[in-house]
Amino acid sequence: MIWLEFAIMQRALIACILAGFLMGLIGVFVVRMRLSAIGYSMSHGAFAGAALGVATATNPLVTGLLFASATAFVIGPIADKARLHADTITSIVFPLNMALAFVFLTLAPEVGLSSQVANVLWGSIISMTNADLVYLTTLFAGTLAIVYFVWKELFAIMFNRKLAEADGINTKPFIYLIIFLAGVVITFSLKLVGGLLIYALLFNPASTVLQFSENMRKVIVYSPLVGMTTTVSGLLVSLFFDLPIGSCIVIVSTIVFAIALLLSPKRRRKEV
Amino acid sequence: MHEDAIIKLEDVSTVYEGESRPAIKGVNLTLKRNELVYAVGPNASGKTTLLETINGLLPPFKGKVSVFGLDVQSDGQKIRCQIGYVPQDFMVKPGEPYTAIDVVLMGRYGQIGFLHHPEEKDKKKALESMKLLGIEELADRSMGKLSGGQQQKVMLARALAKNPRILLLDEPFSNLDPDSRGQIPSLITRLHEEKDLTTLIVTHDIHHMIDNCNRVIVVTNGKITFDGTPENALPLVENHPHTTSLGAKHR
Repeated sequence: MIWLEFAIMQRALIACILAGFLMGLIGVFVVRMRLSAIGYSMSHGAFAGAALGVATATNPLVTGLLFASATAFVIGPIADKARLHADTITSIVFPLNMALAFVFLTLAPEVGLSSQVANVLWGSIISMTNADLVYLTTLFAGTLAIVYFVWKELFAIMFNRKLAEADGINTKPFIYLIIFLAGVVITFSLKLVGGLLIYALLFNPASTVLQFSENMRKVIVYSPLVGMTTTVSGLLVSLFFDLPIGSCIVIVSTIVFAIALLLSPKRRRKEV
Repeated sequence: MHEDAIIKLEDVSTVYEGESRPAIKGVNLTLKRNELVYAVGPNASGKTTLLETINGLLPPFKGKVSVFGLDVQSDGQKIRCQIGYVPQDFMVKPGEPYTAIDVVLMGRYGQIGFLHHPEEKDKKKALESMKLLGIEELADRSMGKLSGGQQQKVMLARALAKNPRILLLDEPFSNLDPDSRGQIPSLITRLHEEKDLTTLIVTHDIHHMIDNCNRVIVVTNGKITFDGTPENALPLVENHPHTTSLGAKHR
């Protein structure tokens, strides 16, 4: 483990643990609340924002956050106000964000297909700074606190939104909260996997754990752990084979999901 | 607060989004405290819409809905905390990560309040409701693995767990086995009396209405076409193809 002696690798490992955990956690809500299409839009919103940051020599984190927040606002409250179905608004926002991202990336000729652009597209864990780790740690603590305090409401909405409403829960603010949180977590994890692949990290861990557990409390504990394990494994694979880290993480998490599918007791007929 | 009229609909019409024809139109209905009313009528006549308009899940296009004297549009959340609601044909798919006790306990969430977690008394109340319906042994079973009848009892337990003042039940006995079909409606009637509830039950099975209530409304084409005693309603519902066989069986 000589590589661990390098500060750059220590930061990479910590980032993998924090981002993997957060994506695995938020992914449970995104998958169970059937917000997957919204997840795609959010990830590409953050991607477009980061691309703008690169083009204008601004911190991509700041522009990524702005774009992710704007996307959350459009596909949440504004779409509700306009009575637009989630599929309709995401089908419009998703390609728009992609189009904007590529326009931004070609805006500044000197940037071209530089390493900065590649970082935004595919991720670059070695560009993780100490400041990034501080942000991720703060986000980690904040997200855990939010989930703990509003778990009851999120749990009921994941079961059935209409029934949650019928029980006296105002579901809209909680849905918006998850959309916004997904945007923020994606933005802060963008350096890990890149804008084109990040949504795999959002869906794969939750989908993997849901193949096994029939208890939502276990799903919410194991999904972040699976997210964390796959990001760390992806990091190790990328170091070992000298491959792009984002791709390795996505390939590892997809293999883990495929194994879960094969082993899932939910797909087997049991003789009693 | 004057509570004699617990539920009041004044000239209410409800239109589903994207449709021009109202699912219920010009409905006037008052349910007084401790009234138990059965709503019958053919499929797609507006019975479910009526229930969802009362608890504010569907906003009325026209007219006013008041529950406990409050406007259901502005105070819906507060009102729904006191309504035990069982939706029509609610089924959880196999493999869904929820146990029966999780689902029953959720019935109390609206009352527990924001930023608070269920306490031991809430869990006790949820188990009591399950016991009342004879399903306490299913508490830790996965919801998706239960039969349709068992799931329906879980949904009834969920509605009762919140200590409601109103019960709105949408075909709550449709999946029950013959034994339970005999027992559960009587149990609901008993609880209705004991707990001083106001209850509106949508059903296709006129046995239940004859035996368990003294007021029936018939909903046809989105309108209340009859409001009276079950005996007087019987000839009307018997003449409808969907309920004829049940009526004949009853005789």
